[in-house]
Amino acid sequence: MQIKIQNLTKVYSENRGLHPVTLEVKKGELIAVIGHNGAGKSTLLKMLASWLLPDSGRVLVDGINLKNRLDVVRKIGFVPETPNLFDFFSVEYNLKLFARLFHAPSGRIEEILQEFDLLPFRNSKVQELSKGLRQRVSIGRSLLADPPLLLFDEPTSGLDFEMTKEIYRLLRDFHASGKTIVFTSHRPEEIKTLATRVIMLHQGHVLFDGSPQEYFQSDVYTSTSLPC
Amino acid sequence: MLRNIITLTLNDLAIAFKNKTFFLIIFIPVFVFFSLKLVDMSSAEFKKINIGLIQAETYAPVILQTITSADKIFTVSQVSDEAEGKRLVREKRIDGLLVRSEKDKGSVALVVVKKESLQTLSIVESFSALQKVAEGNNKNWISDIKTLQEGGIQQQTLPTWILMLVLLVGFIIMPAQVAEEKEKKLLLGLLQTPMREIEWLSAKVLTGMLLILTAVLSLHLLGAFKPGDILSYAAFIVAGSFCFSSYGILLGFLCRNQASARTLGVLFYLPHLLPSALSDFSQKLTAVAPFLPSYQLYEPVKAILLDGGSLSNLSLEWTYLIVVGVVTFICSYLLMKRRWLM
Repeated sequence: MQIKIQNLTKVYSENRGLHPVTLEVKKGELIAVIGHNGAGKSTLLKMLASWLLPDSGRVLVDGINLKNRLDVVRKIGFVPETPNLFDFFSVEYNLKLFARLFHAPSGRIEEILQEFDLLPFRNSKVQELSKGLRQRVSIGRSLLADPPLLLFDEPTSGLDFEMTKEIYRLLRDFHASGKTIVFTSHRPEEIKTLATRVIMLHQGHVLFDGSPQEYFQSDVYTSTSLPC
Repeated sequence: MLRNIITLTLNDLAIAFKNKTFFLIIFIPVFVFFSLKLVDMSSAEFKKINIGLIQAETYAPVILQTITSADKIFTVSQVSDEAEGKRLVREKRIDGLLVRSEKDKGSVALVVVKKESLQTLSIVESFSALQKVAEGNNKNWISDIKTLQEGGIQQQTLPTWILMLVLLVGFIIMPAQVAEEKEKKLLLGLLQTPMREIEWLSAKVLTGMLLILTAVLSLHLLGAFKPGDILSYAAFIVAGSFCFSSYGILLGFLCRNQASARTLGVLFYLPHLLPSALSDFSQKLTAVAPFLPSYQLYEPVKAILLDGGSLSNLSLEWTYLIVVGVVTFICSYLLMKRRWLM
Protein backbone atom coordinates (compact mmCIF):
# COMPACT_ATOMS: atom_id res chain seq x y z
CA MET A 1 0.00 0.00 0.00
CA GLN A 2 1.49 3.28 -1.12
CA ILE A 3 -0.20 6.65 -1.40
CA LYS A 4 1.10 9.48 -3.54
CA ILE A 5 -0.44 12.88 -2.92
CA GLN A 6 0.46 15.21 -5.76
CA ASN A 7 -0.23 18.97 -5.61
CA LEU A 8 -3.48 18.38 -3.77
CA THR A 9 -5.39 21.64 -3.35
CA LYS A 10 -8.65 22.67 -1.74
CA VAL A 11 -9.08 26.38 -1.14
CA TYR A 12 -11.77 27.83 1.14
CA SER A 13 -10.02 31.16 1.59
CA GLU A 14 -6.46 32.50 1.48
CA ASN A 15 -5.55 31.05 4.87
CA ARG A 16 -8.01 28.16 5.01
CA GLY A 17 -8.01 24.90 3.12
CA LEU A 18 -5.13 23.01 1.65
CA HIS A 19 -2.71 24.71 -0.70
CA PRO A 20 -0.69 22.52 -3.04
CA VAL A 21 0.47 19.62 -0.89
CA THR A 22 2.71 16.83 -2.15
CA LEU A 23 3.37 13.83 0.11
CA GLU A 24 4.04 10.15 -0.02
CA VAL A 25 2.74 7.61 2.48
CA LYS A 26 4.51 4.26 2.67
CA LYS A 27 3.12 0.93 3.81
CA GLY A 28 3.10 0.41 7.57
CA GLU A 29 3.55 4.05 8.57
CA LEU A 30 1.63 5.52 11.47
CA ILE A 31 1.39 9.18 10.64
CA ALA A 32 0.17 11.97 12.90
CA VAL A 33 -1.08 15.01 10.99
CA ILE A 34 -0.93 17.95 13.35
CA GLY A 35 -1.57 21.67 13.21
CA HIS A 36 -3.74 24.44 14.58
CA ASN A 37 -7.48 24.62 13.91
CA GLY A 38 -8.03 25.45 10.25
CA ALA A 39 -4.55 24.25 9.27
CA GLY A 40 -6.04 21.80 6.76
CA LYS A 41 -5.68 18.51 8.69
CA SER A 42 -9.28 17.39 8.37
CA THR A 43 -9.47 18.70 4.81
CA LEU A 44 -6.53 16.47 3.88
CA LEU A 45 -8.07 13.41 5.52
CA LYS A 46 -11.51 14.08 4.06
CA MET A 47 -10.00 14.33 0.59
CA LEU A 48 -8.19 11.03 1.11
CA ALA A 49 -11.53 9.53 2.17
CA SER A 50 -13.30 11.06 -0.87
CA TRP A 51 -15.56 13.11 1.40
CA LEU A 52 -14.25 16.22 -0.29
CA LEU A 53 -13.25 16.61 -3.90
CA PRO A 54 -9.99 18.50 -4.49
CA ASP A 55 -9.86 21.70 -6.53
CA SER A 56 -6.76 20.34 -8.22
CA GLY A 57 -4.05 17.72 -7.81
CA ARG A 58 -4.46 14.01 -7.43
CA VAL A 59 -4.07 11.12 -5.05
CA LEU A 60 -2.77 7.75 -6.22
CA VAL A 61 -3.49 4.71 -4.07
CA ASP A 62 -1.25 1.88 -5.23
CA GLY A 63 -1.08 3.68 -8.56
CA ILE A 64 -4.87 4.03 -8.88
CA ASN A 65 -6.31 7.53 -8.97
CA LEU A 66 -8.62 8.21 -6.03
CA LYS A 67 -11.13 9.57 -8.55
CA ASN A 68 -11.88 5.95 -9.42
CA ARG A 69 -13.71 5.57 -6.13
CA LEU A 70 -14.97 2.05 -6.67
CA ASP A 71 -11.45 0.76 -7.37
CA VAL A 72 -9.94 2.10 -4.14
CA VAL A 73 -12.87 2.17 -1.73
CA ARG A 74 -11.96 -1.19 -0.17
CA LYS A 75 -8.41 -0.01 0.45
CA ILE A 76 -9.33 2.94 2.69
CA GLY A 77 -11.25 3.02 5.94
CA PHE A 78 -12.21 6.41 7.38
CA VAL A 79 -13.28 7.14 10.95
CA PRO A 80 -14.66 10.69 11.17
CA GLU A 81 -14.45 12.82 14.31
CA THR A 82 -18.21 12.50 14.88
CA PRO A 83 -19.43 8.95 14.20
CA ASN A 84 -21.80 9.00 11.23
CA LEU A 85 -23.98 6.05 12.10
CA PHE A 86 -27.69 5.40 11.66
CA ASP A 87 -28.49 6.46 15.23
CA PHE A 88 -32.03 5.11 15.33
CA PHE A 89 -30.91 1.57 14.44
CA SER A 90 -29.01 -0.99 16.47
CA VAL A 91 -25.26 -1.57 16.44
CA GLU A 92 -25.77 -4.88 14.66
CA TYR A 93 -28.03 -3.31 12.01
CA ASN A 94 -25.41 -0.64 11.27
CA LEU A 95 -22.70 -3.25 10.83
CA LYS A 96 -24.97 -5.55 8.79
CA LEU A 97 -25.94 -2.75 6.42
CA PHE A 98 -22.34 -1.86 5.65
CA ALA A 99 -21.24 -5.50 5.56
CA ARG A 100 -23.87 -6.11 2.87
CA LEU A 101 -22.66 -3.14 0.86
CA PHE A 102 -19.06 -4.37 1.18
CA HIS A 103 -20.19 -7.94 0.38
CA ALA A 104 -18.36 -8.97 3.54
CA PRO A 105 -19.12 -12.45 4.94
CA SER A 106 -21.68 -12.47 7.75
CA GLY A 107 -19.08 -13.93 10.12
CA ARG A 108 -17.18 -10.65 9.83
CA ILE A 109 -19.87 -8.89 11.90
CA GLU A 110 -19.37 -11.34 14.76
CA GLU A 111 -15.61 -10.82 14.56
CA ILE A 112 -16.01 -7.05 14.75
CA LEU A 113 -18.52 -7.24 17.62
CA GLN A 114 -16.12 -9.47 19.53
CA GLU A 115 -12.95 -7.54 18.68
CA PHE A 116 -14.43 -4.24 19.84
CA ASP A 117 -16.28 -5.62 22.91
CA LEU A 118 -19.60 -4.71 21.35
CA LEU A 119 -21.37 -8.03 21.90
CA PRO A 120 -23.38 -6.77 24.93
CA PHE A 121 -24.51 -3.78 22.84
CA ARG A 122 -25.33 -5.53 19.58
CA ASN A 123 -29.08 -4.84 19.94
CA SER A 124 -28.71 -1.38 21.50
CA LYS A 125 -29.68 1.62 19.43
CA VAL A 126 -26.63 3.69 18.53
CA GLN A 127 -28.26 6.84 19.93
CA GLU A 128 -28.35 5.18 23.37
CA LEU A 129 -24.58 4.55 23.42
CA SER A 130 -21.85 6.73 24.93
CA LYS A 131 -19.56 8.62 22.58
CA GLY A 132 -16.77 6.15 23.25
CA LEU A 133 -18.94 3.19 22.30
CA ARG A 134 -20.18 4.95 19.18
CA GLN A 135 -16.59 5.60 18.23
CA ARG A 136 -15.87 1.89 18.64
CA VAL A 137 -18.79 1.00 16.39
CA SER A 138 -17.54 3.54 13.85
CA ILE A 139 -14.04 2.06 13.91
CA GLY A 140 -15.47 -1.45 13.67
CA ARG A 141 -17.52 -0.43 10.67
CA SER A 142 -14.46 1.01 8.92
CA LEU A 143 -12.73 -2.36 9.31
CA LEU A 144 -15.49 -4.46 7.76
CA ALA A 145 -13.66 -4.64 4.43
CA ASP A 146 -10.31 -5.03 6.21
CA PRO A 147 -8.72 -2.04 4.43
CA PRO A 148 -4.90 -1.69 4.50
CA LEU A 149 -5.15 2.09 5.09
CA LEU A 150 -7.04 3.61 8.02
CA LEU A 151 -7.74 7.32 8.40
CA PHE A 152 -8.76 8.72 11.79
CA ASP A 153 -9.92 12.31 12.20
CA GLU A 154 -9.30 13.39 15.82
CA PRO A 155 -9.93 9.82 17.09
CA THR A 156 -9.80 10.74 20.79
CA SER A 157 -11.68 14.05 20.60
CA GLY A 158 -14.22 14.29 23.43
CA LEU A 159 -13.33 10.90 24.90
CA ASP A 160 -12.54 10.25 28.56
CA PHE A 161 -9.15 8.97 29.75
CA GLU A 162 -10.07 5.28 29.70
CA MET A 163 -11.60 5.45 26.26
CA THR A 164 -8.63 7.44 24.94
CA LYS A 165 -6.29 4.69 26.21
CA GLU A 166 -8.49 2.12 24.50
CA ILE A 167 -8.25 4.00 21.18
CA TYR A 168 -4.46 4.20 21.54
CA ARG A 169 -4.35 0.43 22.08
CA LEU A 170 -6.47 -0.13 18.97
CA LEU A 171 -4.25 2.11 16.86
CA ARG A 172 -1.16 0.24 18.03
CA ASP A 173 -2.81 -3.12 17.30
CA PHE A 174 -3.83 -2.03 13.81
CA HIS A 175 -0.31 -0.78 13.17
CA ALA A 176 1.20 -4.01 14.49
CA SER A 177 -1.04 -5.99 12.15
CA GLY A 178 0.56 -4.17 9.22
CA LYS A 179 -2.00 -1.48 8.49
CA THR A 180 -1.01 2.00 7.42
CA ILE A 181 -2.58 4.64 9.63
CA VAL A 182 -2.99 8.39 9.24
CA PHE A 183 -4.60 10.32 12.08
CA THR A 184 -5.07 13.97 12.93
CA SER A 185 -4.28 15.11 16.41
CA HIS A 186 -3.89 18.00 18.79
CA ARG A 187 -2.33 15.94 21.57
CA PRO A 188 1.46 15.75 21.89
CA GLU A 189 1.28 12.46 23.84
CA GLU A 190 -0.38 10.85 20.82
CA ILE A 191 2.46 12.07 18.63
CA LYS A 192 5.07 10.86 21.11
CA THR A 193 3.65 7.46 21.91
CA LEU A 194 1.98 6.44 18.67
CA ALA A 195 3.33 8.11 15.58
CA THR A 196 6.23 6.94 13.45
CA ARG A 197 6.03 10.11 11.38
CA VAL A 198 4.72 13.63 11.98
CA ILE A 199 3.35 15.96 9.33
CA MET A 200 2.61 19.46 10.51
CA LEU A 201 0.29 21.65 8.48
CA HIS A 202 0.06 25.40 8.84
CA GLN A 203 -2.43 27.48 6.86
CA GLY A 204 -2.72 24.69 4.33
CA HIS A 205 1.01 24.18 3.79
CA VAL A 206 3.32 21.41 5.06
CA LEU A 207 5.50 23.04 7.69
CA PHE A 208 7.22 19.92 8.99
CA ASP A 209 7.56 16.32 7.82
CA GLY A 210 9.74 13.95 9.84
CA SER A 211 9.99 11.60 12.80
CA PRO A 212 8.47 12.50 16.20
CA GLN A 213 11.98 12.82 17.67
CA GLU A 214 12.95 15.31 14.97
CA TYR A 215 9.70 17.18 15.49
CA PHE A 216 10.16 17.69 19.23
CA GLN A 217 13.73 18.88 18.69
CA SER A 218 12.85 21.21 15.81
CA ASP A 219 12.27 24.94 15.78
CA VAL A 220 8.80 24.26 14.40
CA TYR A 221 7.80 22.62 17.68
CA THR A 222 9.08 25.49 19.80
CA SER A 223 7.86 28.30 17.54
CA THR A 224 4.38 27.12 16.58
CA SER A 225 3.20 26.53 20.16
CA LEU A 226 0.79 23.75 19.28
CA PRO A 227 -1.55 23.16 22.23
CA CYS A 228 0.32 20.77 24.49
CA MET B 1 -35.48 38.89 32.21
CA LEU B 2 -36.79 41.07 29.38
CA ARG B 3 -33.29 41.37 28.00
CA ASN B 4 -32.93 37.60 27.93
CA ILE B 5 -36.30 37.22 26.22
CA ILE B 6 -35.26 39.75 23.56
CA THR B 7 -31.88 38.08 23.13
CA LEU B 8 -33.47 34.65 22.74
CA THR B 9 -36.15 35.99 20.38
CA LEU B 10 -33.48 37.58 18.20
CA ASN B 11 -31.59 34.30 18.25
CA ASP B 12 -34.73 32.43 17.17
CA LEU B 13 -35.30 34.93 14.37
CA ALA B 14 -31.68 34.53 13.28
CA ILE B 15 -32.20 30.76 13.17
CA ALA B 16 -35.42 31.26 11.19
CA PHE B 17 -33.48 33.41 8.76
CA LYS B 18 -30.63 30.94 8.57
CA ASN B 19 -32.81 27.90 7.90
CA LYS B 20 -34.85 29.90 5.38
CA THR B 21 -38.12 29.84 7.36
CA PHE B 22 -38.36 33.54 6.56
CA PHE B 23 -38.56 32.78 2.87
CA LEU B 24 -41.58 30.62 3.62
CA ILE B 25 -43.24 33.35 5.65
CA ILE B 26 -42.76 35.87 2.86
CA PHE B 27 -43.44 33.42 0.06
CA ILE B 28 -46.88 32.23 1.19
CA PRO B 29 -48.57 35.68 1.17
CA VAL B 30 -46.90 36.50 -2.15
CA PHE B 31 -48.01 33.19 -3.60
CA VAL B 32 -51.60 33.60 -2.34
CA PHE B 33 -51.67 37.15 -3.74
CA PHE B 34 -50.64 36.00 -7.21
CA SER B 35 -52.91 32.95 -7.09
CA LEU B 36 -55.87 35.18 -6.30
CA LYS B 37 -54.86 37.42 -9.18
CA LEU B 38 -54.91 34.42 -11.45
CA VAL B 39 -58.29 33.17 -10.24
CA ASP B 40 -60.88 34.93 -12.40
CA MET B 41 -61.78 38.02 -10.40
CA SER B 42 -65.04 38.55 -12.25
CA SER B 43 -66.45 35.40 -10.70
CA ALA B 44 -66.54 37.18 -7.37
CA GLU B 45 -68.95 39.67 -8.89
CA PHE B 46 -71.37 39.06 -11.70
CA LYS B 47 -70.16 36.87 -14.50
CA LYS B 48 -72.03 36.23 -17.73
CA ILE B 49 -72.88 32.62 -18.36
CA ASN B 50 -71.34 31.24 -21.53
CA ILE B 51 -73.87 28.73 -22.81
CA GLY B 52 -73.34 26.45 -25.79
CA LEU B 53 -76.05 25.78 -28.36
CA ILE B 54 -75.79 23.09 -31.03
CA GLN B 55 -76.22 24.59 -34.49
CA ALA B 56 -78.26 21.73 -35.95
CA GLU B 57 -80.43 21.31 -32.84
CA THR B 58 -84.05 22.52 -32.89
CA TYR B 59 -84.70 24.16 -29.54
CA ALA B 60 -88.11 25.46 -28.47
CA PRO B 61 -88.34 28.96 -30.05
CA VAL B 62 -89.27 30.63 -26.77
CA ILE B 63 -86.15 29.26 -25.06
CA LEU B 64 -83.89 30.25 -27.93
CA GLN B 65 -85.36 33.73 -28.19
CA THR B 66 -85.19 34.38 -24.45
CA ILE B 67 -81.55 33.28 -24.13
CA THR B 68 -80.49 35.31 -27.15
CA SER B 69 -82.23 38.43 -25.93
CA ALA B 70 -80.90 38.08 -22.35
CA ASP B 71 -77.45 39.19 -23.48
CA LYS B 72 -76.62 40.68 -20.08
CA ILE B 73 -76.90 37.24 -18.50
CA PHE B 74 -75.84 34.86 -21.29
CA THR B 75 -73.18 34.69 -23.93
CA VAL B 76 -74.22 32.21 -26.59
CA SER B 77 -71.59 30.03 -28.27
CA GLN B 78 -72.63 28.01 -31.30
CA VAL B 79 -71.13 24.54 -31.50
CA SER B 80 -71.27 22.17 -34.47
CA ASP B 81 -72.39 19.08 -32.55
CA GLU B 82 -72.85 17.62 -29.07
CA ALA B 83 -69.36 16.12 -28.96
CA GLU B 84 -67.71 19.47 -29.62
CA GLY B 85 -69.97 21.10 -27.06
CA LYS B 86 -69.01 18.54 -24.40
CA ARG B 87 -65.35 19.06 -25.20
CA LEU B 88 -65.73 22.81 -24.70
CA VAL B 89 -67.54 22.24 -21.39
CA ARG B 90 -64.77 19.92 -20.24
CA GLU B 91 -62.15 22.50 -21.22
CA LYS B 92 -64.17 25.16 -19.36
CA ARG B 93 -64.43 27.30 -22.47
CA ILE B 94 -68.22 27.28 -22.05
CA ASP B 95 -70.12 26.92 -18.77
CA GLY B 96 -72.81 24.57 -20.04
CA LEU B 97 -74.33 23.05 -23.15
CA LEU B 98 -78.01 22.86 -23.98
CA VAL B 99 -79.23 19.73 -25.71
CA ARG B 100 -82.80 18.68 -26.47
CA SER B 101 -84.31 16.78 -23.60
CA GLU B 102 -85.24 13.19 -24.24
CA LYS B 103 -87.87 13.35 -21.50
CA ASP B 104 -89.76 16.43 -22.63
CA LYS B 105 -89.48 17.86 -26.13
CA GLY B 106 -90.47 21.34 -24.98
CA SER B 107 -87.63 21.55 -22.53
CA VAL B 108 -83.85 21.15 -22.66
CA ALA B 109 -81.17 19.15 -20.87
CA LEU B 110 -78.18 21.02 -19.45
CA VAL B 111 -74.73 19.43 -19.81
CA VAL B 112 -72.24 20.60 -17.16
CA VAL B 113 -68.98 19.36 -15.65
CA LYS B 114 -70.39 18.84 -12.17
CA LYS B 115 -73.94 18.88 -10.88
CA GLU B 116 -72.92 20.00 -7.39
CA SER B 117 -71.33 23.31 -8.25
CA LEU B 118 -72.11 26.99 -7.83
CA GLN B 119 -71.87 27.44 -11.59
CA THR B 120 -74.56 24.84 -12.29
CA LEU B 121 -76.76 26.38 -9.63
CA SER B 122 -76.26 29.81 -11.19
CA ILE B 123 -77.24 28.53 -14.68
CA VAL B 124 -80.35 26.77 -13.38
CA GLU B 125 -81.44 29.80 -11.35
CA SER B 126 -80.91 32.15 -14.32
CA PHE B 127 -82.97 29.89 -16.56
CA SER B 128 -85.69 29.65 -13.94
CA ALA B 129 -85.86 33.43 -13.60
CA LEU B 130 -85.97 33.98 -17.37
CA GLN B 131 -88.62 31.31 -17.80
CA LYS B 132 -90.83 33.02 -15.18
CA VAL B 133 -90.48 36.35 -16.98
CA ALA B 134 -91.17 34.82 -20.40
CA GLU B 135 -93.95 32.39 -19.57
CA GLY B 136 -95.01 33.15 -16.03
CA ASN B 137 -95.72 29.54 -15.11
CA ASN B 138 -93.71 27.04 -13.09
CA LYS B 139 -92.78 24.58 -15.80
CA ASN B 140 -88.99 24.51 -15.84
CA TRP B 141 -87.17 24.72 -19.17
CA ILE B 142 -84.33 22.60 -17.85
CA SER B 143 -85.82 19.18 -17.29
CA ASP B 144 -82.57 17.26 -16.88
CA ILE B 145 -78.95 17.94 -15.85
CA LYS B 146 -76.25 15.73 -17.36
CA THR B 147 -72.78 15.72 -15.84
CA LEU B 148 -69.54 14.93 -17.60
CA GLN B 149 -67.87 13.71 -14.43
CA GLU B 150 -69.04 10.47 -12.91
CA GLY B 151 -69.39 9.68 -9.23
CA GLY B 152 -70.38 11.74 -6.23
CA ILE B 153 -68.55 14.47 -4.38
CA GLN B 154 -66.22 11.95 -2.74
CA GLN B 155 -65.15 10.49 -6.08
CA GLN B 156 -64.81 13.97 -7.58
CA THR B 157 -62.45 15.15 -4.86
CA LEU B 158 -60.33 12.00 -5.14
CA PRO B 159 -57.87 13.42 -7.74
CA THR B 160 -57.11 16.33 -5.40
CA TRP B 161 -56.42 13.99 -2.47
CA ILE B 162 -54.20 11.84 -4.65
CA LEU B 163 -52.29 14.89 -5.85
CA MET B 164 -51.86 15.98 -2.21
CA LEU B 165 -50.44 12.59 -1.23
CA VAL B 166 -48.06 12.44 -4.17
CA LEU B 167 -46.80 15.97 -3.52
CA LEU B 168 -46.53 15.35 0.23
CA VAL B 169 -44.15 12.46 -0.32
CA GLY B 170 -42.36 14.20 -3.19
CA PHE B 171 -41.86 17.64 -1.74
CA ILE B 172 -42.01 17.19 2.04
CA ILE B 173 -40.81 13.69 2.92
CA MET B 174 -38.16 13.00 0.27
CA PRO B 175 -36.20 16.30 0.48
CA ALA B 176 -36.09 16.05 4.30
CA GLN B 177 -34.87 12.44 4.14
CA VAL B 178 -32.12 13.24 1.64
CA ALA B 179 -31.05 16.35 3.56
CA GLU B 180 -30.95 14.35 6.81
CA GLU B 181 -28.59 11.82 5.26
CA LYS B 182 -26.42 14.66 4.04
CA GLU B 183 -26.54 16.60 7.31
CA LYS B 184 -25.60 13.57 9.44
CA LYS B 185 -22.91 12.55 6.91
CA LEU B 186 -24.67 9.21 6.47
CA LEU B 187 -24.55 9.52 2.70
CA LEU B 188 -20.81 10.16 2.81
CA GLY B 189 -20.48 7.06 4.99
CA LEU B 190 -22.39 5.02 2.42
CA LEU B 191 -20.20 6.42 -0.34
CA GLN B 192 -17.21 4.82 1.40
CA THR B 193 -18.58 1.46 0.39
CA PRO B 194 -18.54 -0.01 -3.13
CA MET B 195 -22.09 1.33 -3.57
CA ARG B 196 -22.58 3.31 -6.79
CA GLU B 197 -24.21 6.73 -6.73
CA ILE B 198 -26.88 5.55 -9.13
CA GLU B 199 -27.75 2.66 -6.80
CA TRP B 200 -28.37 5.02 -3.90
CA LEU B 201 -30.45 7.32 -6.07
CA SER B 202 -32.49 4.45 -7.51
CA ALA B 203 -33.16 3.13 -4.00
CA LYS B 204 -34.33 6.58 -2.89
CA VAL B 205 -36.64 6.95 -5.91
CA LEU B 206 -38.01 3.47 -5.27
CA THR B 207 -38.63 4.35 -1.61
CA GLY B 208 -40.57 7.45 -2.64
CA MET B 209 -42.57 5.48 -5.20
CA LEU B 210 -43.44 2.76 -2.68
CA LEU B 211 -44.58 5.36 -0.14
CA ILE B 212 -46.79 7.03 -2.73
CA LEU B 213 -48.20 3.74 -4.01
CA THR B 214 -48.97 2.62 -0.44
CA ALA B 215 -50.74 5.91 0.31
CA VAL B 216 -52.80 5.82 -2.91
CA LEU B 217 -53.69 2.17 -2.46
CA SER B 218 -54.74 2.81 1.15
CA LEU B 219 -56.93 5.68 -0.01
CA HIS B 220 -58.68 3.46 -2.53
CA LEU B 221 -59.13 0.60 -0.09
CA LEU B 222 -60.48 2.79 2.70
CA GLY B 223 -62.79 4.78 0.45
CA ALA B 224 -63.74 1.80 -1.74
CA PHE B 225 -63.02 4.00 -4.77
CA LYS B 226 -62.88 2.26 -8.14
CA PRO B 227 -60.07 3.43 -10.39
CA GLY B 228 -61.82 3.09 -13.80
CA ASP B 229 -59.30 1.99 -16.45
CA ILE B 230 -56.98 0.32 -13.97
CA LEU B 231 -53.97 -0.04 -16.29
CA SER B 232 -54.05 3.61 -17.37
CA TYR B 233 -54.54 4.68 -13.78
CA ALA B 234 -51.63 2.53 -12.55
CA ALA B 235 -49.43 3.87 -15.36
CA PHE B 236 -50.07 7.45 -14.25
CA ILE B 237 -49.62 6.77 -10.55
CA VAL B 238 -46.31 5.01 -11.27
CA ALA B 239 -45.15 7.82 -13.59
CA GLY B 240 -46.27 10.49 -11.11
CA SER B 241 -44.63 8.78 -8.18
CA PHE B 242 -41.38 8.41 -10.16
CA CYS B 243 -41.50 12.05 -11.28
CA PHE B 244 -42.15 13.55 -7.84
CA SER B 245 -39.86 11.20 -5.89
CA SER B 246 -37.04 12.14 -8.22
CA TYR B 247 -37.98 15.83 -8.05
CA GLY B 248 -38.02 15.69 -4.23
CA ILE B 249 -34.59 14.06 -4.10
CA LEU B 250 -33.22 16.90 -6.22
CA LEU B 251 -34.68 19.43 -3.77
CA GLY B 252 -32.98 17.52 -0.94
CA PHE B 253 -29.67 17.83 -2.76
CA LEU B 254 -30.09 21.59 -3.00
CA CYS B 255 -30.26 21.87 0.80
CA ARG B 256 -27.58 21.50 3.42
CA ASN B 257 -29.87 20.49 6.29
CA GLN B 258 -33.34 19.21 7.10
CA ALA B 259 -34.77 22.58 8.10
CA SER B 260 -33.86 24.09 4.74
CA ALA B 261 -35.23 21.04 2.95
CA ARG B 262 -38.59 21.34 4.71
CA THR B 263 -38.84 25.02 3.83
CA LEU B 264 -37.88 24.43 0.22
CA GLY B 265 -40.31 21.51 0.09
CA VAL B 266 -43.23 23.70 1.16
CA LEU B 267 -42.13 26.37 -1.33
CA PHE B 268 -42.57 23.78 -4.07
CA TYR B 269 -45.55 21.97 -2.53
CA LEU B 270 -48.03 24.85 -2.56
CA PRO B 271 -47.37 26.15 -6.08
CA HIS B 272 -47.70 22.63 -7.42
CA LEU B 273 -50.81 21.76 -5.46
CA LEU B 274 -53.00 24.85 -5.60
CA PRO B 275 -52.91 25.88 -9.27
CA SER B 276 -53.64 22.31 -10.31
CA ALA B 277 -56.36 21.71 -7.75
CA LEU B 278 -57.92 25.15 -8.32
CA SER B 279 -57.76 24.98 -12.10
CA ASP B 280 -61.32 23.60 -12.07
CA PHE B 281 -62.52 26.96 -10.86
CA SER B 282 -60.58 29.28 -13.10
CA GLN B 283 -59.92 29.61 -16.81
CA LYS B 284 -56.79 31.65 -16.07
CA LEU B 285 -55.36 28.95 -13.84
CA THR B 286 -56.29 26.35 -16.45
CA ALA B 287 -54.05 28.28 -18.84
CA VAL B 288 -51.10 28.51 -16.39
CA ALA B 289 -51.29 25.16 -14.60
CA PRO B 290 -50.28 22.92 -17.57
CA PHE B 291 -46.71 24.15 -17.18
CA LEU B 292 -46.55 22.35 -13.82
CA PRO B 293 -45.82 18.62 -13.69
CA SER B 294 -48.43 18.34 -10.94
CA TYR B 295 -51.13 19.36 -13.43
CA GLN B 296 -49.89 16.70 -15.85
CA LEU B 297 -50.64 14.17 -13.13
CA TYR B 298 -53.82 15.75 -11.78
CA GLU B 299 -55.69 16.17 -15.05
CA PRO B 300 -55.07 12.64 -16.39
CA VAL B 301 -55.93 11.10 -13.01
CA LYS B 302 -59.13 13.16 -13.00
CA ALA B 303 -59.88 12.18 -16.58
CA ILE B 304 -59.36 8.48 -15.85
CA LEU B 305 -61.28 8.48 -12.57
CA LEU B 306 -64.15 10.73 -13.58
CA ASP B 307 -64.38 11.05 -17.36
CA GLY B 308 -63.48 7.54 -18.52
CA GLY B 309 -60.12 8.66 -19.96
CA SER B 310 -57.32 6.25 -20.81
CA LEU B 311 -53.56 6.26 -21.35
CA SER B 312 -53.96 6.11 -25.14
CA ASN B 313 -55.26 9.68 -25.29
CA LEU B 314 -53.11 10.95 -22.39
CA SER B 315 -49.71 9.72 -23.56
CA LEU B 316 -48.27 13.25 -23.85
CA GLU B 317 -48.95 13.94 -20.17
CA TRP B 318 -47.46 10.55 -19.20
CA THR B 319 -44.33 11.28 -21.23
CA TYR B 320 -44.04 14.72 -19.63
CA LEU B 321 -44.00 13.16 -16.14
CA ILE B 322 -41.37 10.61 -17.13
CA VAL B 323 -39.19 13.30 -18.75
CA VAL B 324 -39.35 15.52 -15.64
CA GLY B 325 -38.48 12.47 -13.51
CA VAL B 326 -35.51 11.54 -15.68
CA VAL B 327 -34.18 15.12 -15.87
CA THR B 328 -34.38 15.63 -12.09
CA PHE B 329 -32.78 12.20 -11.56
CA ILE B 330 -29.83 13.17 -13.77
CA CYS B 331 -29.47 16.52 -11.98
CA SER B 332 -29.42 14.73 -8.59
CA TYR B 333 -26.80 12.31 -9.92
CA LEU B 334 -24.55 15.18 -11.02
CA LEU B 335 -24.93 16.96 -7.68
CA MET B 336 -24.17 13.74 -5.82
CA LYS B 337 -21.06 13.19 -7.91
CA ARG B 338 -19.90 16.69 -6.97
CA ARG B 339 -20.69 16.02 -3.27
CA TRP B 340 -22.93 19.09 -3.39
CA LEU B 341 -23.37 20.73 0.05
CA MET B 342 -22.22 17.55 1.79
